[in-house]
Amino acid sequence: MATTAIPSETSPRAAAWPRVLLVIGRVALGAVFLIAAYTKLHFNGSWHFGDYHFFFAMAIDSYNMLPLWAVEIMARTLPILEALIGALLILGIGVRWVAAFTSALLLVFIGAMTRALILHIQIKCGCFGNDEPLTIWTLLRDSTLLVLSLAVTIGAFLVKKRDTASA
Amino acid sequence: MKSLPVRRFKFLAFVAVSALATATLAQQQAKPSTPAAAKAAPAASAPPNFQKTMGNPSAPITMEVFGDFQCPACRAFFESTTKQVIDDYVIPGKVYLVHRDFPLDMHPYARQAARLANAAANFGQFEQIERALYDHQDEWSAKGNIADVIKASFPPAEFNKFLAFANQHMDEINASIERDRAMGTQRNVNQTPTVYITAHGKTEALPGGGVDYKLLKSYFDYLLRQ
Repeated sequence: MATTAIPSETSPRAAAWPRVLLVIGRVALGAVFLIAAYTKLHFNGSWHFGDYHFFFAMAIDSYNMLPLWAVEIMARTLPILEALIGALLILGIGVRWVAAFTSALLLVFIGAMTRALILHIQIKCGCFGNDEPLTIWTLLRDSTLLVLSLAVTIGAFLVKKRDTASA
Repeated sequence: MKSLPVRRFKFLAFVAVSALATATLAQQQAKPSTPAAAKAAPAASAPPNFQKTMGNPSAPITMEVFGDFQCPACRAFFESTTKQVIDDYVIPGKVYLVHRDFPLDMHPYARQAARLANAAANFGQFEQIERALYDHQDEWSAKGNIADVIKASFPPAEFNKFLAFANQHMDEINASIERDRAMGTQRNVNQTPTVYITAHGKTEALPGGGVDYKLLKSYFDYLLRQ
């Protein structure tokens, strides 16, 4: 008995491009987070594994938003978290949840930066190293990253949904 | 038997060496009196010394502050952090504190205040004038009447010496301020206060705009444990 293939609604090439875009998006976002972690751990020409948190704590504290104990916890953990996010996004592990968490994190950063700019607090951003001043441009850059992060999050959920449906 | 010219040569050589030795000895004996003489001389005749420093220069940590006396953030940093650093680390000899002038163009009286501070530094009164300038910043920063406001913090004769020195050595003082500014520009200082910490042969810039004392203290303690 002869069998006939069921024609798909979309061509294989058309079906592949969202996946390709998702890979490009998550790798780009992951690379940005890896660079952000690197600049917090490596500055003034050397690695600062032992004392990076002192410098980063000073940058976080300049936002005048958190109590000192929270500043210290954040300073110690955030660069490690950024490195982990970067690695997971590049490797494609848990992309949906990692990207969603990244979006939430970026939203918090943008909120803190917007508040500092509104209050005219002249501080360092603390985004990429300790020496970058906080300006409207750093806010725009992080907003662009948030758009990318949201696109990766939505894309990852849609691809997963389609994969589940086709299975 | 030696000939007469040889003897004459030996005699002349002996006289020359003796004269040289006597002159050297006299010079060496005269040397210890030089610093004492310099100390005894009035400051006006000594070369200007704009060392805006506090503490032991061989302390394990050096803290350089690029500051502007009219900048409110510098005053806040001085009041909340520097004063505690002086008490807890500079006086016990753990930190050597260095002030670098970085008057910002947006503050019209910052340079005038820096000139007065440099003049006071020449008389070893930098710590006192820094305190006076920051403590009374609100009073002089509106109209620029720095001398009128600050003079109450010093005995009149002392303060008049600062003013006279500032007038006499205007060019040298301006050059000193410009040297500090050039150093800051070279290090990419773009706001005040900007703090640099040097320890174990390495210099690190702290995030600009001032630092909380507790965070700075934990960093100093970490450096001192190394």
